[in-house]
Amino acid sequence: MLKNTHGALPAVRIAHLSKTFGASKRALDDVSLDIGAGEMVALIGASGSGKSTLLRHISGLVRGDRNAEAQIVVDNRPVQAGGRLSPDIRSSRAGIGFVFQQFNLVGRLNVLTNVLVGNLGRMPLWRSLLRIFNDEERRLAVTALDRVGIAQCAFQRASTLSGGQQQRAAIARALVQKAKLILADEPIASLDPESARRVMETLSLINRQDGVTVVVSLHQVDFALRYCQRVVALRDGKVKFDGPAAAVTAALLRGIYGDNTDLDFGTLEVEPSERDGARSAMPGPRQAALA
Amino acid sequence: MKSPALRVADLPLRAPRPTPAASLLKLLGYGLAAAFLVWSYQGAEVSPVKLFSDAGNMATFAADFFPPDFSDWRYYLEELIVTLHIAVWGTVLAVFCAIPLSLVAAANIAPWWIHQPVRRLLDAFRSINEMVFAMLFVVVVGLGPFAGALALWIHTTGTLAKLFSEAVEAIDPQPVEGIRATGANALEEIIYGVIPQVMPLWVSYTLYRFEANVRSASVVGMVGAGGIGVVLWEVIRGFQFSKTAAAMMMIIVLVTATDVISSRIRKFFI
Repeated sequence: MLKNTHGALPAVRIAHLSKTFGASKRALDDVSLDIGAGEMVALIGASGSGKSTLLRHISGLVRGDRNAEAQIVVDNRPVQAGGRLSPDIRSSRAGIGFVFQQFNLVGRLNVLTNVLVGNLGRMPLWRSLLRIFNDEERRLAVTALDRVGIAQCAFQRASTLSGGQQQRAAIARALVQKAKLILADEPIASLDPESARRVMETLSLINRQDGVTVVVSLHQVDFALRYCQRVVALRDGKVKFDGPAAAVTAALLRGIYGDNTDLDFGTLEVEPSERDGARSAMPGPRQAALA
Repeated sequence: MKSPALRVADLPLRAPRPTPAASLLKLLGYGLAAAFLVWSYQGAEVSPVKLFSDAGNMATFAADFFPPDFSDWRYYLEELIVTLHIAVWGTVLAVFCAIPLSLVAAANIAPWWIHQPVRRLLDAFRSINEMVFAMLFVVVVGLGPFAGALALWIHTTGTLAKLFSEAVEAIDPQPVEGIRATGANALEEIIYGVIPQVMPLWVSYTLYRFEANVRSASVVGMVGAGGIGVVLWEVIRGFQFSKTAAAMMMIIVLVTATDVISSRIRKFFI
């Protein structure tokens, strides 16, 4: 497992987390994972391997099974333990940005309001219920929209945006939350390649510039390897691999996705030592630090 | 790919015949329905013959309506406006009550031990007709339009809250989860995630009920709860059918106008 570079407590600590759906469907099987502050981690694995389920547990949207040792701690705050959500789960969530595959914006609200929602955790209830946002909160939202490159869409209904724009609005919402951790659940699975690239660039930029920890589940292995320094692979709810992206090989991926996969592993068919030149299009300062 | 054993010539052209048991059950169903119709025919004392045998009466009666007597039109108009006011306030009060009630009656918002009792309460509101409530409220607040507005309020709360809660149950849960993931509490989830999604339907249902309430408001007056219904009651009991015709025509104009205007407003909101 990678050492977290800052040497402090991990940003995310998951210990002995299991989740059973229904009577016997094991979605997560004794998962333990530490993620250091400022890391950008890819979660990979076949459909149904538990990627989404794991991310949803970290934000407390789902509760784990009731075993006594199970716990999730984010930024030194307990999210859940032993299958029970922490009583101050909402303040934990306020510090965790969540980006969904289907964007999960409110289509009939304009983009700015969708992004302003990121302020709710810091607002008095009477103002949030009356949808009264002050100038500072609005400035924060407009700045975030500008940063993800869609400030011109602020007053359009969210439903009128393209998928890529909606996903960037969702990232802007996480920015307004001033989240120290962003969880992205298949953020590019519903996007065309160019939009997917822009969304991943945006996440990567926030990770590098703001030191925000990013955990992103991805279907496309090439995106995982290009943008993330660390890769965690799940199969049948178990962590099957956890290590630097550079150590991922085609043989390993076959073990994760199964032999009959139709994925094209491209340059990975070459041994890691020989492919350095082929894949350094995204150098990034952190990759150098981790080498 | 076609399997060699199955040729087009061998494929069935009709669905397989139902089993004898299924046919018998179907026949029994038709028999029961027919029996129920006959039984209700007697209960309701339906006798189309009377329409013909008493055709003379009908003709005389119909002739009494013409020409309509508009001599009191100012009075009718005043009462029509009161009718409109009853409908407006019956609807507005109902909307205010239906919003919270519909949320606690929605299975995706409230647990069953809350939404089930609330739904039964709403059933009770709906199952009693406005006229009955009007008679009761006349006793409480006295004769006049306020009793009518209160009667419409109760009944409309029952219908609107049910319709509203069905809209709430049909929302897309994903945006709500998006709001929840930012650390929002339950009320904020409703304000930002639920209400924007149901708003067009809620507006539409409210306008439909308002149209219905204009019609209902014109009859609650017959039990003394104000509006044009009072006029109708007076003229019908006084056998002043030409005046009745005039009042009815003015009601038709009002109801038609409300329908047209509210459908315009509805388009504006969707």
